[in-house]
Amino acid sequence: MSQIVVPTLGHRLQSIPRSWQRLTALCIAAPAGLIVLACIGMLTWSYATARIRAPHDEQHVLELQEKARTDAAFASELADEQAMQTEFRQQRAAKDARITLMLLLASTAFVASMKWLVSLRDRFVPLQSQFVQLRLPPRAPAAAGSRSSALRRPESGEVSAIDLSHVDRIVAEIGRSAEAAIPILQAIQSIYRYLPDDALHRVCELTEITPAQIAGTSSFYKQLRRTPIGEHFVRVCHGTACHVAGARQVTDELRRHLEIPEGADTDTQQRFTLDEVACLGCCSLAPVLMIDEHTSGRLTSLSAYDALQTFLTEQAS
Amino acid sequence: MKRRAVEIRIGLSSCGIASGGEPVLAALKEAAQEAGAKGIVKTVGCNGMCSREPLVEVLDADGRITMYENVSVTDARRIVQSHIRPLRPVTAVRWAAERLIGSVRGNGCRDTIQQRRVDPAHGADATYLPRQTRIVLENCGEIDPRSIDDYLARDGYRALERCLGRRIEAPSSERKTESDAVANALAPADIIAMIRDSGLRGRGGAGFPTGRKWSIARDQPGPVKFVICNGDEGDPGAFMDRLVLEADPHRVLEGLAIAAYAIGATEGIFYIRAEYPLALTHIREAIRQAEARGYLGPRIAGTGFSLRLVVREGAGAFVCGEETALIASLEGRRGMPHLRPPYPVEVGFRGKPTLINNVETLACVPWIIRRGAAAFASLGTETSKGTKVFALAGKIRRGGLIEVPMGTTIRDVVEGIGGGIKDNRRFKAVQLGGPSGGCLPEALADTPIDYDSLVETGTIMGSGGLIVLDDRDCMVDIARFFLRFTQAESCGKCTFCRIGTKRMLEILDRLCTGEGRSDDLEKLEELADRVSRTSLCGLGQTAPNPIATTLKYFRSEYEAHLHERRCPAGRCVDLIKYRVTDACIGCTLCAQKCPVGAIAFRPYEKHEIDDALCTRCDICRQACQDDAIEVV
Repeated sequence: MSQIVVPTLGHRLQSIPRSWQRLTALCIAAPAGLIVLACIGMLTWSYATARIRAPHDEQHVLELQEKARTDAAFASELADEQAMQTEFRQQRAAKDARITLMLLLASTAFVASMKWLVSLRDRFVPLQSQFVQLRLPPRAPAAAGSRSSALRRPESGEVSAIDLSHVDRIVAEIGRSAEAAIPILQAIQSIYRYLPDDALHRVCELTEITPAQIAGTSSFYKQLRRTPIGEHFVRVCHGTACHVAGARQVTDELRRHLEIPEGADTDTQQRFTLDEVACLGCCSLAPVLMIDEHTSGRLTSLSAYDALQTFLTEQAS
Repeated sequence: MKRRAVEIRIGLSSCGIASGGEPVLAALKEAAQEAGAKGIVKTVGCNGMCSREPLVEVLDADGRITMYENVSVTDARRIVQSHIRPLRPVTAVRWAAERLIGSVRGNGCRDTIQQRRVDPAHGADATYLPRQTRIVLENCGEIDPRSIDDYLARDGYRALERCLGRRIEAPSSERKTESDAVANALAPADIIAMIRDSGLRGRGGAGFPTGRKWSIARDQPGPVKFVICNGDEGDPGAFMDRLVLEADPHRVLEGLAIAAYAIGATEGIFYIRAEYPLALTHIREAIRQAEARGYLGPRIAGTGFSLRLVVREGAGAFVCGEETALIASLEGRRGMPHLRPPYPVEVGFRGKPTLINNVETLACVPWIIRRGAAAFASLGTETSKGTKVFALAGKIRRGGLIEVPMGTTIRDVVEGIGGGIKDNRRFKAVQLGGPSGGCLPEALADTPIDYDSLVETGTIMGSGGLIVLDDRDCMVDIARFFLRFTQAESCGKCTFCRIGTKRMLEILDRLCTGEGRSDDLEKLEELADRVSRTSLCGLGQTAPNPIATTLKYFRSEYEAHLHERRCPAGRCVDLIKYRVTDACIGCTLCAQKCPVGAIAFRPYEKHEIDDALCTRCDICRQACQDDAIEVV
């Protein structure tokens, strides 16, 4: 099984052979498990005996109390009996406390080692930040077949695999130099509508473009986006003319209607992505709105949502 | 004179399409086809009257031009019917019947389309086009931008031919009959001298003399040089580059080719922002056509001059309008400017000398070559020659793209050409130059528009956005709007631009929400001064301009926000309230429309707005038919 070398702290264990790790984990898990079982057994036993003895003892004390009321000779016997019972109960409580402590420790060890064991069973999935994700496996010697296995991480939550042949075609058309970075990213975005990580990996593999360059440019230019986009892309112009004509209210109104949560740009059902753009260059028609590739102008906060719906119904028909 | 066929033109730039031009075009074509005159409908670029689109222009057989504004699909049919006589008698009868029915129903086609007619001789429209001098916009709205023949028919590529001294072979029969003799070729030095004598200055904003830039580029050693057309028009509120590229792409292409010839470059790049898809399509199409006709490519017209042009899309960063940032972006890096010198004309794209000119600058070049430097220099003022295109927008009655000689006053533009303020409000200010410019009050409206007079007032010419503001616009809010833009667009290289703009924005946010502190205005002034002095590129240096000018001319508004927690213009949402006046008739329209339920549904009673729930979305005011909602 190939490993992805990610120099993140805590993953040094990766260098120890897997079978050794498994053996160690087992060596801890098995005795810990046995101790847990034993402790549970002892606690149950102790509880059960106490429960059985309790009514007996109580009865005995009551009888002695009854007798002591009439006969003073029984008074010392009662005192002895009571002292004996108290001592027994204290001893039991102390013993239970010790067993409980042991149980806690043993179960901690057991859970930890079991988790380790379970993690060893699958390939290791590192938690990575956005930028670490761009780190690539060492370039494999050009073997066409190994390509997808080197890049694709089935565990990364990717539901539908994307077709990377577009990327190959784009790179072949545009070029492999660092200069081609932005046109390549634009072309990729025009196909997938955003920049999927797998496609970016592929670009780095095929060209001179580095992951750092991609991270730098894709976060700098507003056109490029790294997160998936909703079904429809709604751009509200916030140019000067649109601003004085009330673009802010139009945006707020659309956000409310499209149920886009605060701080996000896409609604939870991935239907609409709403973006505020600098200027669409149709200042005479302010405020202006662009739904996908269709522009409508002269909107108000009252008519904006209607315009959106009109467009959608027209498109559907 | 040869009788021409009727021609119907419809302006279909982005603005025309946005106002519903495509269905109108389809209706025109359908009606024309019914009449048996299929090819008479022609799509042209926008002629600048964007606010009145869709715009249809009819050229009758006798050369008369009729223009219709705000044309709907039904109007389109009627326009065709009133200008064309159908070929087939059946259609003629049907159309006559249609008109009859129309007139019986009270909406006779003559009457409705008469209302749509723009009368260029009388009334307000008499001032719109005639007061302009069109050089850059010469062909806009006249030719089909996707047809090189249309451009050639209007003296297209003559300037390039003149520079090369050769007639470029064109397959069009009309042109072949003309004489192949062209005056002696212009040496590159002569071209540069012409541009210098014309007094043309960069139209991107800074106003650097174009001739001097070209001659520096020419003097650079080495065989590899680049020319770049800067079409990364990021200024919010400016759209002249978009319109020129959409409506007359060949003109810019010709200008770029002449620039390349003059400085000795063999490769050129169009850098156009991706937000202008139609401009990109048209310029790509223009390059293809020019290559097919031999106006571009290797060894043009048999001379030693070769030129290859490519198109690159800007990826959405305002700072990339700056030359060094633009080059960084072309080279695939983050668009961050670097210290100049060396200037791009010395060390530019791929380390080679690179000439970068704005779209509008290049669009002037063919005209100058054709008509001579003196003709261009005769327009304008002492230091600013020629004309300037302005994107007139905001609270103006007739917005759009206009071109006036330098030295025209702001008042002439706003009141003469633009027809004054919308809705009879008071003219308060103009915003010039976008985020790098500033606001000039109505009192300074007699300032002539030229590079130097504007700098004196604290604003700049900029790329030519001219936003008109009325008494309902809050100047603090305008300053905040621009600062929010520059703050977001700052590339982050210079500390003062990165953090200073943020701090200034925080102060403006405080003022607009009524939480201003006593020393905020002084702090704002201090920061404005420091940011402009310690930033590397134009973005940072001019970012405080909107604040500086509004503070200078509208200080009382800042003070009202600060001391009285009041927005005099009724604009800042945290400082205003919506209230129902006694004019309310209790119709419940506002209650029905209110998206947050802040108005209780009480028919026949005066409504009340719950201020705690109200989000100031303005919907109630728009919905009210009795103007019973006021902003206080």
